[in-house]
Amino acid sequence: MMARPIGGGITAQEVVDRIKKSIGVEWKPETVDGFKAGDPTTVITGIATTSLATLSVLDRAVKAGANLIITCEPTFYSRADLPTPPARRGFGPGAAQSNQPATPPPPDPVFSGKDEFIKKHNLVVFRLSDHWRLRTPDPFAPGLADMLGWSKFAGTGDPKHVEIPETSLDALVAHVKTSLKARGGMRIVGNPQQRIRKVAFLPGSTPIQASIETLPGVDAIVAGEMREWETVEYVRDTVALGGKKSLILVGRVVSEDPGMHACAQWLETIVPEAKSMSISAGDPYWRPTA
Amino acid sequence: MSTLTAGEIVARIKSNLGFPWRDATYRDTFKFGGPDTVVKGIATTMFCSYDAIRRAHIAGCNMIIPHEDTYWSDRDDVSIVSGDPAYKLKVDFMREHDIVVFRIHDHMHAQKPDFTWVGLARALGLDSKLETAPQSHRFTLPETTLGELATRIQKRFAEQGINDKAIRVVGDPGTKVSRLQLGVGYASPAINDPNVDVVVSGEQQETDGFLDSPEYVLDAATLGIAKGWIMLGHNVSEEQGMQEMAEWIKKFTPEIPVQLVRSGEPFWVPK
Repeated sequence: MMARPIGGGITAQEVVDRIKKSIGVEWKPETVDGFKAGDPTTVITGIATTSLATLSVLDRAVKAGANLIITCEPTFYSRADLPTPPARRGFGPGAAQSNQPATPPPPDPVFSGKDEFIKKHNLVVFRLSDHWRLRTPDPFAPGLADMLGWSKFAGTGDPKHVEIPETSLDALVAHVKTSLKARGGMRIVGNPQQRIRKVAFLPGSTPIQASIETLPGVDAIVAGEMREWETVEYVRDTVALGGKKSLILVGRVVSEDPGMHACAQWLETIVPEAKSMSISAGDPYWRPTA
Repeated sequence: MSTLTAGEIVARIKSNLGFPWRDATYRDTFKFGGPDTVVKGIATTMFCSYDAIRRAHIAGCNMIIPHEDTYWSDRDDVSIVSGDPAYKLKVDFMREHDIVVFRIHDHMHAQKPDFTWVGLARALGLDSKLETAPQSHRFTLPETTLGELATRIQKRFAEQGINDKAIRVVGDPGTKVSRLQLGVGYASPAINDPNVDVVVSGEQQETDGFLDSPEYVLDAATLGIAKGWIMLGHNVSEEQGMQEMAEWIKKFTPEIPVQLVRSGEPFWVPK
């Protein structure tokens, strides 16, 4: 079934050209951003942004009349982001340098099921991660602040920082959980009774360097994903050594959702011919209640 | 009183491994103190956290043998953290109490058997009779659901006094699972193996990796393909094997006490 073009019949490629022209940063030669599935010459019926283009997100996009999906994270389950499963990594010394082609992987019903769904519904998937993050300010932190109802607490300085009315870590965690519709993905380090005013956002996935730079100036960091042998242990040690600090991990995908919601709002301004919406991938995790 | 030094203990570790020491390792080295320190007692631990060091000291141990890093990066790159107040306080404590830290990671994973897998399988009650082949770390269980399996794992840990409240699960709780692939640490096995229903492991990045398991499992659930993913946390997944490590070291250091001091679960979770 061909979707009906609306407005002037703009194609996915034309939308991407406008993104590149308007995003405010030089397009990088090496980037994860680009078309991941579908035909760029497809005339678009609507645009859906998301942090993660799961099949459920794609299905909701189809039902809402969108056929161009702008996703922050991969569609096909790896950085390579190809519609066929990755070849198994070689083993032993020199495997990575070996000229032997990797054994072709067997067909995978999840990869092919998703690929078929995209083809059947004439969808086009474009990944927008590196360049969206490079904007000034990086939209992911203000997006989170907005989703938490804290835009009014952002100062004139670093947009990653907000100063909120004093609360406890416990109360803050409850507020974050409700605002971001978290299920089982949240994990906290710190004393639940700790008082909090200054909060910094580190959405996505960030290394220890970002935390070392950020934690001394704030009471709490609200972050996406951090390595457990890096920031998690750093905050645990800081707390054990008397530092009144805390860390709220919400998960990478959940932390990027608000920034992709902001992306849909921005797309409305540069592609007025088409409807832009954001579709949340949700919190992938749950936990037993034993 | 024993005059056994940290250097002598490391020499005994190297000679008991059963394979040559790999000098190229940047992980398995002294992280604080050095070979000359006289050791009163040894504490193995998973993460070399300040609190684990403090409790080891109270228990009379001044040599810490952690599996993971001390200064919050894999390479223990002090240049990243040396200006931080927590770094200074941690180092001051170790200096004041004559602590010596020697990490065992690469050689632990190269040992046969690798105690991280042994310890985790023991704690989970995964009998080797259920393993498809020795060292496959794949177990065929009587069919259950993903939800029941996750609940059982958490209860089993709780019965042993192990906190794993921050366990995270992806997939439909009602999905029938039987073929379990175990993983440890950050080396979580790929969930797309057609012979695997559920992966139980430690930590894995959520996206942009070699195979992004959370999204794969979400889509498998949408397609009605039985898959489940249970992340125990990095600490819980590898800490159990530090018990086996302590027992192994005890065999060739009879002069001094050796014990596991748990770094424990770092997280709490909202209601």
